[in-house]
Amino acid sequence: MTSSRNVASPQTVAQKILARASGNDAVAPNQIVEVTPDFCYSHDYAVFAIDAFAQMGATDVVAPERLAICLDHGFPVNTARDANNHMRVRDFARKQKFRAFFEGGTGIAHQVMLEKGLVIPGALVLASDSHTPSGGAVGALAIGIGETELAFVWAFGRTWLKVPETIRVTLSGALPQGIQAKDATLSLVKRLGVLGGAYKAIEYHGPGASALTVSERFTFCNMSAEIGAKCSMFPHDAVTEAFVRGRAQFAYEPVHADAGAIYCEEIALDLAQIEPMVVLPGREDRGVPVSEAAGRKIDQVFIGSCTNARADDLALAARILKGRHVHPQVRLLVVPASRQVEIDAARSGDLAVLLEAGAILMPSGCAVCAGTHQGVLGDGEVCLSTSNRNMPGRMGNNKAEIMLCSPATAAASAVTGVVTDAREFLE
Amino acid sequence: MEAEIIAGSVTVLGDFISADAVLPARYSFLAPADMVQHVLTEVSMEANAGVRTRTIIVAGEAFGYGTGRESPARALRAAGVRAIVGGPFSRMFFRNAINNGVLVIDCPELAACGVADGEQLQIDPTGGVIRWKDRTFRTMPAPEIIRRIIASGSLIEYGRALLQADRGASGS
Repeated sequence: MTSSRNVASPQTVAQKILARASGNDAVAPNQIVEVTPDFCYSHDYAVFAIDAFAQMGATDVVAPERLAICLDHGFPVNTARDANNHMRVRDFARKQKFRAFFEGGTGIAHQVMLEKGLVIPGALVLASDSHTPSGGAVGALAIGIGETELAFVWAFGRTWLKVPETIRVTLSGALPQGIQAKDATLSLVKRLGVLGGAYKAIEYHGPGASALTVSERFTFCNMSAEIGAKCSMFPHDAVTEAFVRGRAQFAYEPVHADAGAIYCEEIALDLAQIEPMVVLPGREDRGVPVSEAAGRKIDQVFIGSCTNARADDLALAARILKGRHVHPQVRLLVVPASRQVEIDAARSGDLAVLLEAGAILMPSGCAVCAGTHQGVLGDGEVCLSTSNRNMPGRMGNNKAEIMLCSPATAAASAVTGVVTDAREFLE
Repeated sequence: MEAEIIAGSVTVLGDFISADAVLPARYSFLAPADMVQHVLTEVSMEANAGVRTRTIIVAGEAFGYGTGRESPARALRAAGVRAIVGGPFSRMFFRNAINNGVLVIDCPELAACGVADGEQLQIDPTGGVIRWKDRTFRTMPAPEIIRRIIASGSLIEYGRALLQADRGASGS
């Protein structure tokens, strides 16, 4: 399937990592290559991969030292069926000697894999979840696959991928006070549409990119799923190095794009021009400046998900909620992205501020986002959420509506009961 | 082994139907046969009846976007769908459908030309040719790996055959 060839042309990050993982000197966009991933992970839905693995007649996973599972979608469980599924996942990970198994409550898999140094710079990472591209925050080429395909990789240690073209996004400027990476990301989703990056890789460059923290980079890479991208990466720099040093569990080699690499599209985004964004119900590319959504009534606020529930997000929410109280007709659900985030927020005092303001603290995990575990909405209710998706029915009821925003906008709106510009609270 | 020509009647579905709308997450843990009654009901009961009685979907823009859960693809396969044409499609839904033995072909111009529910389509995966009435649409032929998976019936069947071949080769 693969062929070694000498292509002299300069390569993007995705080309370089896929070339290495497929044993080629170089690869070209749209070429189909057979790859050996460096690391794979999954969550509760690993149970489907376990079924598929058995149905294939496979008995032993290839390279268990490169595999991990983190339960995050529905924990603690609600039903005996889910409990039995979790038992099967725990049992499989133990018997197959997976490198790591993270019990429910550790956090959201994408977050935990970065915190634990399992997703590292330059690695080809495959995981059975659409928000896998989050790993690009540390320069991994992280790509989502299905559950059956994960089983195939467990059984064979390899799979096929099409080499993507790459969009180059150049970030300049700095985010103004009260405006977050989420607002810039939602602007980009609005501009490109839900399949604007389909089948493509995204590389972020420019002075605006190097000024962003790993948490902010995570938000950008995470929501590349909402433009249909295959993967999304920030280049390795001092920020990446400071995050992964002493944390990485494997040797890593940062990968940089060659000068003169070919990009299918070039996009420039000035972070200084970004306004707070609110995504209107129904689709992720329906973002509007907060002024156009201000005053819309909300019933539930969700500060959580792999997109936006890290320590910096909770700190900004706490700054806004300090000395204030959640509106009596609003439920504010706070779900830290991981136990580590929860510990950090507890130590800093931010967690106490949120609780004093009336926030409801839920166990770390995916929680409300996918509509399968707690926080489901009633008919006609509106949730303002820091998560990544708002298509009809996403939170478990297609008669409810979801709007997306930053943690700052979510916190300010929780106080007033209507969509609110957080800058009013930060002056 | 080559993927065979697929012929059948179509269900026409609109633009921006997310994978969550094809099958909500709360039904993910049902047995595939039990998913069938729920597939596409978030869109309409007609859509549900359509895919349960006709083997090909003509899908609009971004069909299956969003979640990478495999259960929406599993549910369509269980309903009897064998091919989905139109799009463009999101990459995870594309792969999940293929891995469940449902051929997916990007052909947005077909979705835009007025195909109606119940009309006949003929799809040749190897040549990338789709026929509707007297019209012929030429698309990118499915790559060899995709044709092999489809010809095997699913990625599970493809994997099972590979493992058996490996074991045969090693003499165990």
